[in-house]
Amino acid sequence: MSDIQEAMRSRAKELLESGEVNAVIGWEAGRFENQTTPLITSQAAKTQRLVFNEYCVNNLGKYPRDLTAKGKVAIFARGCESRAIIRLLSDEVIKRENVYIIGIGCPGMRDRTTGELLKKCAECRHGDPVIYDEMLGEPQAKPATQERFAEIQKIEALPRAEREAYFTNAFSKCIRCYACRNVCPCCTCRQCFVDQRREGWLGKQNNIAENRFYGLTRVMHVGDRCIECGECERVCPMDLPLMSLNRKVIYDINNLFGEYETALSLDEPPSALTTYKVDDVEEFM
Amino acid sequence: MIIKKDRMGALLGTLAQHKTVFVPALIDGVSKFAPYREGLDVRFDLHNTKLPPKDLLFPQTQKMYRYGETAEGGHYVEQFDESSERVLFGVRPCDMRSINLLDDVFLTKGFVDEFYEAQRKKLLTVCITCAAPAETCFCESMGLSPNEAPDADILLKSCEDCYKVTAQTQKGEAALADWRDFLEDTQAQVLPGKTSLRLNFEGVPQKLSRMYEDPIWDEISTKCLNCGTCTFVCPTCYCFDISQENKMKEGVRFRCWDSCMFSEYTAMAGWHNPRPTKKERVRNRFMHKLCFFEERYGKTLCVGCGRCVECCPVALDITRLIDDIGASDA
Repeated sequence: MSDIQEAMRSRAKELLESGEVNAVIGWEAGRFENQTTPLITSQAAKTQRLVFNEYCVNNLGKYPRDLTAKGKVAIFARGCESRAIIRLLSDEVIKRENVYIIGIGCPGMRDRTTGELLKKCAECRHGDPVIYDEMLGEPQAKPATQERFAEIQKIEALPRAEREAYFTNAFSKCIRCYACRNVCPCCTCRQCFVDQRREGWLGKQNNIAENRFYGLTRVMHVGDRCIECGECERVCPMDLPLMSLNRKVIYDINNLFGEYETALSLDEPPSALTTYKVDDVEEFM
Repeated sequence: MIIKKDRMGALLGTLAQHKTVFVPALIDGVSKFAPYREGLDVRFDLHNTKLPPKDLLFPQTQKMYRYGETAEGGHYVEQFDESSERVLFGVRPCDMRSINLLDDVFLTKGFVDEFYEAQRKKLLTVCITCAAPAETCFCESMGLSPNEAPDADILLKSCEDCYKVTAQTQKGEAALADWRDFLEDTQAQVLPGKTSLRLNFEGVPQKLSRMYEDPIWDEISTKCLNCGTCTFVCPTCYCFDISQENKMKEGVRFRCWDSCMFSEYTAMAGWHNPRPTKKERVRNRFMHKLCFFEERYGKTLCVGCGRCVECCPVALDITRLIDDIGASDA
C-alpha cells in the first residue's frame, strides 16, 4: 500500500502542476491513530499529504458532484468510488470529461478502533474499480465474505410482528441528521423531498412515524440505484441497519425482474424502478 | 463522605422511587441518558454518552401549545407543561458545563424561555469526574477540568472502588438526605483525570473575529457533507425551529432541534438564502462555537466533549481547526 501511496502523491502532483485537473480528491491522515479524512486540494504542494492505508473508510465518490462545476477533477477510485461515479454519470449529475479516474484495487478497509474489516467492506462484491482512466497497482480481487442477501433472508424469516418491531426499533433511534442522505451518491435530487417544507411531505417532529416515513421514502427513491457502498450505514451515528432496507428493495427487484446489480458499467439499461414496460410484473393490479 | 461503586445500583433504585433518574445507559448499541429502571444497562464507565443530556431540558421535539375551535364556536389555546422532577445522574463535567451554557441562552439577556425554565428548576444534577478521559476529550483546552464541575448540585469524585461525594449547592445538600443509607464517612484517594489531547485555544476567538473572509472556510468546508450529525450530538447546540401541525379544527405548535448545517435553516421567503453554500454554513457553526458566543456571553460554546470529533462522517475535526487557527498569524 505504501507504493500506491507514493504513486498517488506523484500522479496527483503531476496532474495539478500540468493543469490537467483543477482539484484532486483523496485521503489524508486525521489527528488520531488509524484515522483518515478526505483531502480535496487544488494545491500541488498539498498532494504530499495524500495517504492510502487500510483506514481510508470514506467513499469519495460523491465529491465530484460538488467540484466539477469549477473544472475537471481527479479522483482516486476503488470499487465503491468508481461505482458512485458511474451513478453520478448515469444520473447526469456530472460529465465524463470532467472527471479523471485513477483506479486503485481495494483489499477492504478497517475500523480504526477495533481493527476489524468494516461491515460494508465484508459485504462488498466489487473492491476493484469498474471504470478508470489509469490504474495504480494491481487489482485485489477481494471476495465478499458476507452473502449478499443473508441478512434480508434472516429478517424475512421473522414473524410479521418481530419484523415490524425490528424496523420500529431502528427508527425510534433515528435523530434525522440526514447523514445517510448527504453521503449517498444516489441522493442527488436538486431539492430533497425532506427539504420541501411548503409541500410538507415530512413533518419536523422526531417520532417513529415521521422517521420511518423518511427512511422508507428514501429507500424507494434510491433502492434501484443503490451501489451498495454501505456508506449510509457507516456514517449513521445511531447505527440504523440502513443497508437492510436498501438490500430488501434490491432483493425484491432481483426476484421480480431478474438478477440485478447497478452501476457496473456506463452502458447498462436504465434503473429498474424508473423504467416501465407493458409486460412488467404487476401482481398487485 | 463516600459511596461504594457496588452500592450505586441500590442508590439509584431508591432515588427512582420518587423521581425519574436519568443515567448513562447503553440501549440498542447507542449510549444516552435514559430513565433508570431495573435491568437497564447502566454505564458509568463510558467517557461520554453518544447523545448529550440536552434532550432532558430541551427535547428534540417539544410540544408548546395546542389550539382549536370549541363546540360553541369560540377558540381555545392550551399550553403544554411536560416538565417533571428529574435527576440527571452521572453527567460528566463537560456536559455539566453545557447546561450552564444552555442556562445562559434560555434564561438570561432579558428573555426567559418558560419551557426550559420549568424543567431546569426541577432538575437535580449529579456529576461524576473523569478519571480516564477518552482520546477525543479536550475539555482542559477549553478551560474546563475533568476533575471539577462547579455547577453540579452534587459532585462524585472518581476513586478506585468508590466516589467521594460532595454537595455543591443547597439543592444538592437537601437531596443528599435520601442518600444517607448509602454513604460512608471514610476517606478515599481521588483519581485525577487528565486529557491527553491538548490544543492551543489561547487567542483563537480574537483571531476568528478577524477571519470572516479567510480562505480557510473554503478549504475546510469542501469535505463537509452538510449533515446535522455534529449539531445533534453537540451538547451545546441549541437552535430550534417552531412549526405546527393542523388537523381539521385543531392544531399543535411544537419546536424541534434545527441545524445550521441544513440549507433550509436560513431559507427565507422567496427562496433567498443568506448562507447559500456549505462554506457559509460551516463558517457559521465554528464561528458561533468559538467566537460569536464568546462575544455575547463571555464564554466559549465548545466544552471539549469530543462527540463531533468522534461522529463526523468525514472526520471534519474541530480540534484541528482550533490548532490551525491558533498557529495562524491572523
